[in-house]
Amino acid sequence: MRESDPIERARADGRTTLTEAEAKGLLADAGIETPAFEVASTPEDAAAAAERIGFPVVLKVSSPAVTHKSEWMGGLGVTVGVADADEAAAVAADVFDAAADSGIDADVLVEAAADVDAGTEVIVGGLRDPSFGPVVLTGLGGVFTEIFEDTAHRLAPVTQATARAAVQELRSAPLLEGYRGSDRADIDALAGVVKRVGDLLVEREDIAEIDVNPVLVTPSGATALDALVVLEE
Amino acid sequence: MLLFRIRADVTHQFELDRLFDPSSIAVVGASTKEGKIGYEAMENVHDFGGRVYPVNPSAEGTAFGEPFVASVTDIDDDVDLALLCVPAPVVPEVIEECGAAGVGAAVIYSGGFAEAGDDGAEIQRRLTETANEHGIALLGPNTSGFVIPRTGLYGSFATGVESFPAGDLAIVAQSGGVAHSIAFQATRERRGLSAMVGLGNRANVGFEEVIEYLDGDPDTGAIVLHVEGTDDARSLLETCYDAETPIFAYKVGEADVGDFAESHTGALTGDHALYQAGFAQYGVPTVDSTSQLLDAGHVAATAPLPDGTNVGVVTAQAGPGIIIADRLKQAGVSLPPLEDETRATVNEILPGITYSANPVDTGRPMPEFGEVVRAVAADENVDAVLVYELHEAALGFPTEDLDGLAESVGKPVVFATAGPESLLEPDREELESVGVPVFESPERAADTIAALAEYARVTADAAPAEVVDNA
Repeated sequence: MRESDPIERARADGRTTLTEAEAKGLLADAGIETPAFEVASTPEDAAAAAERIGFPVVLKVSSPAVTHKSEWMGGLGVTVGVADADEAAAVAADVFDAAADSGIDADVLVEAAADVDAGTEVIVGGLRDPSFGPVVLTGLGGVFTEIFEDTAHRLAPVTQATARAAVQELRSAPLLEGYRGSDRADIDALAGVVKRVGDLLVEREDIAEIDVNPVLVTPSGATALDALVVLEE
Repeated sequence: MLLFRIRADVTHQFELDRLFDPSSIAVVGASTKEGKIGYEAMENVHDFGGRVYPVNPSAEGTAFGEPFVASVTDIDDDVDLALLCVPAPVVPEVIEECGAAGVGAAVIYSGGFAEAGDDGAEIQRRLTETANEHGIALLGPNTSGFVIPRTGLYGSFATGVESFPAGDLAIVAQSGGVAHSIAFQATRERRGLSAMVGLGNRANVGFEEVIEYLDGDPDTGAIVLHVEGTDDARSLLETCYDAETPIFAYKVGEADVGDFAESHTGALTGDHALYQAGFAQYGVPTVDSTSQLLDAGHVAATAPLPDGTNVGVVTAQAGPGIIIADRLKQAGVSLPPLEDETRATVNEILPGITYSANPVDTGRPMPEFGEVVRAVAADENVDAVLVYELHEAALGFPTEDLDGLAESVGKPVVFATAGPESLLEPDREELESVGVPVFESPERAADTIAALAEYARVTADAAPAEVVDNA
């Protein structure tokens, strides 16, 4: 689906924020695992894309005008557990109608559903600090990150070993290491995401901030479920 | 955050020798009026061992026996260092004159520059440009200066700086006030200093330049940093990593948060978090107070550094030993079991000893206490030793047993005690004279050992961003 570099495309549109699809494309190119996804611009396209990806799928509004998808239009921005082609077409049609009503251009992101209960949600991020240069961060995901501020930072670029040390420095690291008999998460895969986010910031000087939130870490890998990329002003 | 440095496009390799080891000094704005900065600076440097020239166009006669001249350009000598005791608006012009006169370095005491708003920033920008053109190293502006106790060079306008004892620790503080605060505490506690430098606004001499200079200074055994914030933290970290001298840092401003709002990452990435993480990543342990800076820096400058984070504790009193063990464990320091051989030795010296694991608790001061300390220091499981013993007049300290011990085992041996000052003082002085740092609270000693253990940890794990392996 990516015909041109997403950063150049956003710049050409005068945007400083990439859509989720653009951000995920960028991450995928950098070697970070994402769920299979396609961008559809009609209900029929959405249904066909969902068939190709396999059910269930998640449908999300995809528009530069929408940053907080889950809060958009009373929850219409994100629909999980879409079970068949008809439902996919219907949900997509609702999204297009709502977008048209509010006067914004929007596509629909059709994405393979992830079993979030199969792993732990972690945040990985990076930013270009005026004094430190590119830095990366990791922390346990969701509300825990914000309330407990259990995060670890490193100046980028980092090696896989340094990224791993950052993950293991977290107070919540035992949750990933098989706490109370749960399966041990793939910490190397998570460290790989941290390393690659750092490399991306170092290589693409246009990027101001990257949020990969959440990254779903399971015993067999680490997948970027959502992503935000903000460009330098 | 305080970012008063205005970056110059040209990086100059200044000869900081002319700043910190000058042969001749001009005091611009010198005064005969007690209480004025131009008087205090003159008083502090007038007998530093080289020529001193008071400069003041509106003064006549002499200051401290030296005749006034109107401008640095009127001095018929190569002036290495100019101390500028003049208000901000006059400074750019004086720097021009210093350039014309071939002055190598200047300390600018006055405020009213980048810290005071746009107009001041403009003055600072102009004078920095001029100084860069002429290759003048600028300490300040907005600083109370520097002191090199060993050579008796008091480039500070503060009173009492001649009391700073000469020694091995260099203090580099972003704030001149903090530099003096630590140095006066060092003086009270008899900790010797190789240098005290207050950076101020860092016009063109910043942390990097001073750290590099001190790293090459044979008199400096350790460097401690007080950091408020700098506009090129990565460069500071790289300089610290490249230095061979042990460095400890105290970053203030924990409450500062990032200006970024768009992402979660931005909201979670405060300036303080980055300094803490960055210092650790680049092999610099951080501490939480000026006292800890002084304590850790003093021991690092004068004693062997630990190779790891395992500490052996020997105490003559259970209570302080418990506080020490507790505090060390909280700081992530381990108290490993001692080797069988050590336990056997300790049991031989003191049959029926109170607790011969780690901490070793002898229950009371005793003549054999020093032997116990030696046995624990020799233990292979231990990287550093902390000893607590209340002072007992009849016994004194085990000075003979501890003499040269740290050097021979290659580990720091730190002593903590308490007792009546008049009886304690001569014994403490004797113990310190054989290379054993003495502290007067269990917490300060424990925090010091914890900082040294942290040094061992972060230097072993240091992984600067530039070094890329393909693991």
